Amino acid sequence: MSVTKLQRKRHKPTPGSEPKLEPPVERLSDKPIGIWKTAFKKFMSNPFAVVGLVVLLFFIIIALFARVIAPFDPAAIDLINANLPAGSEKHLFGTDELGRDVLSRLIYSSQVSLLVGFSVAIITVVIGSLIGAVSGYFGGWIDTFFMRLVDVMYSVPTLFLNILVLSIFGSKFSYMIFIMASTSWMGTARLVRGNFLQLREMQYVEAAKAIGVSSWGIIGRHLLRNTTAPIIVSATLMVGGAILAESALSYLGLGVQAPETSWGLMLSSAQEFMLVDPLQAIYPGLCILIVVLAVNFIGDGIRDAFDPSKKVRIPRRRLQEWRKNFSKSGI
Amino acid sequence: MAEKLLEIRNLTSGFVTEQGIAKATDRITLSVEKGKTLCIVGESGSGKSVASLSIMRLVDYAGGAIFEGSIGFSGEELASMSQKEMIRIRGNRIAMIFQDPMSALNPVFSVGDQIAESLRLHRGVSRKEAWRQAVDMLRMVGIPDPELRAKQYPHELSGGMRQRVVIAMALICKPELLIADEPTTALDVTVQAQILDLLQRLQQELGMAIVLITHDMGVAAEMADRIAVMYAGKIVEEGTVGEIFDHPSHPYTIGLLKSIPGLEGARGEELYTIPGTIPGINQLPSGCRFHPRCAKAEEKCRQAEPLLREFRPDHQAACWLYDSGGGLGGDDKESEVKRA
Amino acid sequence: MTEYLIRRILQSVLVLFLVSIITFVLIHAAPGGPTQVFLSPGLSQEAAQIQAKNLGLDQPIPVQYMRWMGSLLQGDLGHTFKNNLPVGEILWPTMQNTLILMSVAWLFSLLIAIPWGIYNSTVEYGLSDQTASFISYLGFAMPTFWFGILLQELFALELDLLPLSDMYTMGKEGQIGDLFMHLILPVTVLTLGFLASYVKFSRSSMLEVLNQDYIRTARSKGMKEKRVIYRHALRNAMIPIVTILGSDLAILVSGAAITENVFNWPGMGRLFVEMALAREYSVLMAITLITAVIVIIGNLLADILYALIDPRVQLARKGGASA
Repeated sequence: MSVTKLQRKRHKPTPGSEPKLEPPVERLSDKPIGIWKTAFKKFMSNPFAVVGLVVLLFFIIIALFARVIAPFDPAAIDLINANLPAGSEKHLFGTDELGRDVLSRLIYSSQVSLLVGFSVAIITVVIGSLIGAVSGYFGGWIDTFFMRLVDVMYSVPTLFLNILVLSIFGSKFSYMIFIMASTSWMGTARLVRGNFLQLREMQYVEAAKAIGVSSWGIIGRHLLRNTTAPIIVSATLMVGGAILAESALSYLGLGVQAPETSWGLMLSSAQEFMLVDPLQAIYPGLCILIVVLAVNFIGDGIRDAFDPSKKVRIPRRRLQEWRKNFSKSGI
Repeated sequence: MAEKLLEIRNLTSGFVTEQGIAKATDRITLSVEKGKTLCIVGESGSGKSVASLSIMRLVDYAGGAIFEGSIGFSGEELASMSQKEMIRIRGNRIAMIFQDPMSALNPVFSVGDQIAESLRLHRGVSRKEAWRQAVDMLRMVGIPDPELRAKQYPHELSGGMRQRVVIAMALICKPELLIADEPTTALDVTVQAQILDLLQRLQQELGMAIVLITHDMGVAAEMADRIAVMYAGKIVEEGTVGEIFDHPSHPYTIGLLKSIPGLEGARGEELYTIPGTIPGINQLPSGCRFHPRCAKAEEKCRQAEPLLREFRPDHQAACWLYDSGGGLGGDDKESEVKRA
Repeated sequence: MTEYLIRRILQSVLVLFLVSIITFVLIHAAPGGPTQVFLSPGLSQEAAQIQAKNLGLDQPIPVQYMRWMGSLLQGDLGHTFKNNLPVGEILWPTMQNTLILMSVAWLFSLLIAIPWGIYNSTVEYGLSDQTASFISYLGFAMPTFWFGILLQELFALELDLLPLSDMYTMGKEGQIGDLFMHLILPVTVLTLGFLASYVKFSRSSMLEVLNQDYIRTARSKGMKEKRVIYRHALRNAMIPIVTILGSDLAILVSGAAITENVFNWPGMGRLFVEMALAREYSVLMAITLITAVIVIIGNLLADILYALIDPRVQLARKGGASA
């Protein structure tokens, strides 16, 4: 009888199912460190993720030390030396139509992209987790209210809302971050809510309630902590999305404005001067592509690292070779 | 002696992993006679399901493979047969029932369609005829109002009903051999008994042999002609149902019998459980695989692996207690010393 | 079924209502108002106020909203501030242009993506699968407008094979052949984005089905692997795919905004940017509402399709919660 029960349980795919089997008391305060350790190990054994991390760190360092690294002031106009080709003396990547040094502009642009990417991701995750946590934990009319709000937000295309706000309120940097964050929290909110709905039925939450832990204590200490991994993953993937959105808005002329510089803005002017210097359109786009790829690789790496069903990957070909060597059957 | 329908010899199958080959079954030898029932008993993780998937050659699709040994099925060799040929046999002459009827049926086809499909595949009968026979089969497995039920989808039926559908689906082509992998484990106790009765009745009507996989000695007692007890990929005891229950020999078998509620434990004492857990196929202990959990383990058990030997007629066990031959390096040429 | 539909439609009306309020307030709360943008800079404060009064912009926002709602209910989307053109007259042609571009791109990508993803699920990590995964990484990380610019540089400027931008060459308006040539580059750009998500999605939903117990059951019945995949697995895998397509329906009108700007395609996305900069409130309101309506119809359609292909789902029983 008891065997039957256990087996039946095993067949239900419950995310984070191992806490269920442990006695509730042990689970009250701490998440086992083991999860983080193995996740870290798995992450570091994923070559894509590691390369992504290195590339991202490289761009972060460039952004932090832009002032030191950049050979020129990115906004310094020098009409005599306009449209110099790449490889010119002093100007490694040439100059643009106003004689500004392209390399310096590329370097300074990394500040904008990373700042927007990370701040939008952080704000989004904070708003999303809060709303998701509150809806998922309390349920009832609070849940209904927020989920209707999610419906409403989802029914207007994000890009349109961003364009609308930036064109009407003006293209301030802070506005841009604010509107991007306030149009992208819904995914995280749904994710956290879904997780909470599952988690709040668990024994250790019952136990915490029974010994009188307050609602916010339960949300913060027990539930959010058990939702950390998916939140981190969605935050990482959001960084890439925000960088792309910033570049698109700047390209449309609604994001970063003239004396400042951004990869999207550079592409916008590069398109105008496409005939004169087609190479100018390559560099900024390549920068965006590389940074976003790096961030996405990291995000995928983290997701796989926390996914218990994903073992350390063995190349399929090796497996097939093994099977061919050993097996007398086969498909 | 009756004719052997299925003869498995030295079957080793399992999975290729990073650490190398993980043998879920390790040179097991079994046979089933026509019309008889063999029960393979063991805890989960003992390799009994992989054994059944190997006979069906479905282990290939589960990411595993057969590494060694032969599976003879009325004159044909299944272990090295191509999947193309295997299609002829699967579902036609050998059929299989799986553990969980909730997930074993395709949710988007009506149960009638799913039963009739096997007939259309193997007998090439017309759609109408297949449907008629499917309805008959539903009636045969005890489903009331089969004409209506055939048109329903799996989610509209209860668990017990679904398992009946699964049985109907397996038996529609009147197979010579039915492999049932824990057919009652996922069901309520009252339904379990009904399903077992049904299987026995159908076995008599159709004259098929059954390989029944279970962890429950009680089920085995009710159904089996012969019982094979499996532990960590090895068969540790094998014999007729009478022999196994009257003279259980291997400490593991004795443990399994003791833990049946209502048999040994009926005298008011607490239900017996075998201490410890079954080892994973990657962390097998040296010597006899059961020794870490065995109360009677001796030094020899830790060092050398015992082989199955017949110590009574129709009854064999793999345990040093019944192996009168020499121990380590003795005259038992077959006993293998585990390469530590 | 009807009861469910009625409830859903009522819910949708509520959502639309909220969308309209939020957008309206957002637009009208802007500092400065529209007059600053489109009036000539030399206009005196007084003249500007008279202008605003004529347009009803001096009224409190709730009153303006009620007025706007009133005329909307009579089928009037309003007029532009500049030239006093009826909004519909500007909107419908651009919407048509967007629909032409997007439906070609969408159908084209679906025709490639779904079979490709399904095929890849059966040859996991093979060459075709690796290629698809490479494309989807590119598609997710590459700025669409940059891809567009690169294509323009290569195929329009360097090789001179295809037109650089616009929908028709001047003087060839309405000719299908010319339209086709103009479609190639923007459709390519959009296709990359669609492929990135749809190939991945159909592959993973197929893989999920292939791991189900009933697939093992199907194999145990003794059928060719092809039949297992295309009869038993495919139909189950199509359930999530069709659902996601329904809820993606709105990209048909909103998904091309950036691409339209790159290729100067006279569609709704470009119109939206243009009108946002010109603060043409009524056009912005109209476009926002239309897209919201399409989003909602798409979701409703997805639910209905879901119920049609999945016998387990009965619309009437499904609750109001839309999680």
